[in-house]
Amino acid sequence: MKGTLNLVGYGLSAIGPAIATGMIFAAYISGVARQPEARSVLQPIAFLGFALAEALALFGLVLAFVL
Amino acid sequence: MKQDEGAAWSIFGYLLSGLLFWGGAGWALDHWLHTHYFVLGGLLLGMGASLYLIWLRFGRE
Amino acid sequence: MPLLRFLSQDGEGFVPPSTSDFNLPPVFGDNPYTTKPILLVFLSVIAVSVFFILASRKAAILPSKLQFAGESIYGFVRNDIARDNIGHEFMRFVPYLFTLFTFVLTNNIFGIVPLLQFPAMSHVSFPYVLAIFTFIVFHYVGIRKQGIGKYLKDIMFMPGVPKAAYILLTPLELATFFIVRPLTLSLRLFANMFAGHLLLLVFILGGDHLLKGVIGLKLISPFAFAFGIGLTFFEFMVQCLQAYIFTLLTALYIAGALADEH
Repeated sequence: MKGTLNLVGYGLSAIGPAIATGMIFAAYISGVARQPEARSVLQPIAFLGFALAEALALFGLVLAFVL
Repeated sequence: MKQDEGAAWSIFGYLLSGLLFWGGAGWALDHWLHTHYFVLGGLLLGMGASLYLIWLRFGRE
Repeated sequence: MPLLRFLSQDGEGFVPPSTSDFNLPPVFGDNPYTTKPILLVFLSVIAVSVFFILASRKAAILPSKLQFAGESIYGFVRNDIARDNIGHEFMRFVPYLFTLFTFVLTNNIFGIVPLLQFPAMSHVSFPYVLAIFTFIVFHYVGIRKQGIGKYLKDIMFMPGVPKAAYILLTPLELATFFIVRPLTLSLRLFANMFAGHLLLLVFILGGDHLLKGVIGLKLISPFAFAFGIGLTFFEFMVQCLQAYIFTLLTALYIAGALADEH
């Protein structure tokens, strides 16, 4: 077996953002499905939440290669 | 919903390019000056810049 | 622990699938241009052409099954991908989007067709070429529509931002539009096809190896094969989805280049 533990760590750290992204879009979809006119209010919030969660995932990806 | 999917992928692209550009600049500075902290600063700066850009582009109503 | 060791002693000879399984030798003699992916790409072009020529040859008011299949794929690309995203100028881009969608879809599905079973897009050079085409198309369209100065200015400077922030943001916009977009477009397709093929290899080759082991391992191997078959259907879904996403993002990039302000 060869390889680096960094990638195992990255795999573990990607679990959190994955769950977060799923929950954000699940809430967004069910919110829009219940009240379609709330879409323009919900959209920026959903995208900012997605951006914050995704930023952590990409940060982990970059650090797995940098460190 | 299709525009939403495109927006999600372009957010991903902005975050990636922020980290790569400013993180890469920090890495180059480290390589040049033989230090080891510019890369972390560059990554944080890039992440902040991309989040700011995403807020400008998608978060304003 | 002794039981585990006994069970795993036959696992010594197992070679896990790796990237070397993707470098297939030439099919005909030593000619390096006749490897399996290249032949599959040619086969996909022939298959797509023959299918749509046959489907559109005897166009009737009351469509045959073949004509209906061809028309529903065309209608999907034209209405759901092109018209809904690009707007009133969409007819110019339907030929490109349709070619892209059918080509990528056929090549992806070759990954699970028995006997062919290799997605050509798991070699990164093919998605690179497709992404370069998309790159040229959407920048050309944007420059033709708005002129090169205004197009670049729209990309680089977004309105309503303090001047000092441009130092931070302009490199990001340029990197996103000219490097990250084509790169992620191609790598997404490549990574999905590569990982999917590797996953199937792990389960099928692993099940095959378990079948050669001691009796306890023989009993496990049907589960590995069952997982392999289940994952094959999962792969079918992923392959269709990736072809759709590739075409959809191309359409969205073209729409973004056509729009006056981003």
